[in-house]
Amino acid sequence: MSVCRPVHSDLEISWLDMARRQTATLRTLRPTPPVWEIRLDLEYAPGAGSYVLADFGGPVREPLFPSVVDDTGFCTIVPRGHAATRLLPNTPIDVIGPLGQGFRRSAVGYALDRLLLIAEADELPWLQPLYQAAPAVALVVEATTRGRLPPPARFPPTLELTLVTRDGSMGYLGPLESDGSTPVGVERALPRVRELVAWAECICIAGDMARYPALARLVQEVRFHPQPGFAQALVRVPMPCGVGVCDICRVTTRHGERRACVDGPVFDLMDFLE
Amino acid sequence: MIELAPNHKYGLPIAVPVMPASGTFGYGEAYHDLVDLSLLGAIVTNPVSLRPRRAAHGQRIGVHNDHFVVHTGWPSPGLRRVIREAGPIWERLPVPVIVHLLATRPVEVGRAAAYLSGVRGVCGLELGFTEDISFADARDLLAATAEEGDLPVIVKIPFSRVDDLAPRLAQAGADAITLMSPPRAVLPVVDGEADDQVARFMRGRLYGASLFPLLLNALSRWAGKLGVPVIACGGIASPEDALACLTLGAAVVQIDALLWRVPWLLDSVARALVQSQPQLDTEKDDLSVDEGAMEANL
Repeated sequence: MSVCRPVHSDLEISWLDMARRQTATLRTLRPTPPVWEIRLDLEYAPGAGSYVLADFGGPVREPLFPSVVDDTGFCTIVPRGHAATRLLPNTPIDVIGPLGQGFRRSAVGYALDRLLLIAEADELPWLQPLYQAAPAVALVVEATTRGRLPPPARFPPTLELTLVTRDGSMGYLGPLESDGSTPVGVERALPRVRELVAWAECICIAGDMARYPALARLVQEVRFHPQPGFAQALVRVPMPCGVGVCDICRVTTRHGERRACVDGPVFDLMDFLE
Repeated sequence: MIELAPNHKYGLPIAVPVMPASGTFGYGEAYHDLVDLSLLGAIVTNPVSLRPRRAAHGQRIGVHNDHFVVHTGWPSPGLRRVIREAGPIWERLPVPVIVHLLATRPVEVGRAAAYLSGVRGVCGLELGFTEDISFADARDLLAATAEEGDLPVIVKIPFSRVDDLAPRLAQAGADAITLMSPPRAVLPVVDGEADDQVARFMRGRLYGASLFPLLLNALSRWAGKLGVPVIACGGIASPEDALACLTLGAAVVQIDALLWRVPWLLDSVARALVQSQPQLDTEKDDLSVDEGAMEANL
């Protein structure tokens, strides 16, 4: 499987170095309201959580994360009105990458059986390449309200799906990390999430970075002292250079400031414990 | 060879009149597989302060049409850590290293200059000022840097202070002058998705190709009149742009944040300038005749 490539071996590092500049071909564009899905053919596609920097003609390059990865390229999601949506199929696009540290299955060993994915609905595409990364995968998706959740029919039946809405209009009542008062007729998400955290061998998260400290506390409460890489969180911030020189993507962790473009964009969730 | 510090005891000779601008290239090795470093004249490092500095909070980049503003707060790991981690890299780089110092206080830049004087591979310092610095403060910082260390000192002049500071700092002992730091600007930036966009504004250093005519304006006014070599920096986006700067009297060009989009611009500019050097010498001779005529008319 092409996702979750180990990035720590010498072989992987030299492979990354060789693949730094590539020409991708825009193969298809498809509106999937409210966003567009584009497919790029590329010799060395990024794995889940890593990215390429694409030149769409603007003054800075844009990071593209994969929502689907296969042997000939990857798909990604862009907002409506994005420069890519005005291009014709077969347009060549200059990209640098794959770059960054993606989700690492190697962090918890290769015999991964139970994987938990947690995403806010808008960030869900970046976890999609992990849907089959383990024999048992559970997915928790949170949105503000029912209308922001993808239709359950879009998810593969092999996923154990937990839907959470902040207003309780569908599934469990969010936010995930909150155990506040619960109105009659709905169930809080927190007990369910605790159960899943206890069940999982590895957790991959994509959401608002401001919530990571609270999620890290939740994981710590359940697992006490999780091993490094047990819970991994994607940080999506602007990364114009991709090589750690511009200082624009610095994020604060308990080990000091780190650059999302080279030290991440996937970090150990426990690095965000305050 | 191009001598960037003809009045300095050691000098600062470089082979090719191209280098990255401070804050765009890290500490030397980040672009090693995208840029042929041996083609460059020198490397200018990210800004370094004596003590560690944290990054600015909040949004750090705003993009609008062909421009972008950046506000990072110039984070720095501190001089000791930079020397510890980047020093071994500088030693083996095929080109000289110019360390960009953040001009904080005279005592700090003086100490930093003294430390850096003994670091192998470091051949010069570039001093960067804030927009609102007074001439007296800038002069004191320059003096402390030059006196405490023994490396040539290049002064990078803020965009809005070129006329005020460039001639006076050249006279005060700068070995070379970089024209210019990016101007401060405000751009509208957009938050959220297309449906619920909220317009906000962001202030920061402005980058984009439209800085180039402003750079040419500054060069046409000051290059050749300061008594020290001038380094051109701002919006240079092609070999032709670089050639225009050299024709107007710049000794060297620096490529700024445009290289994040096209890192190999450094290579192509370097190759083009090396090839066009003889033609350039002729054009400079012609230009000096024109300038003489212009001054006589005035």
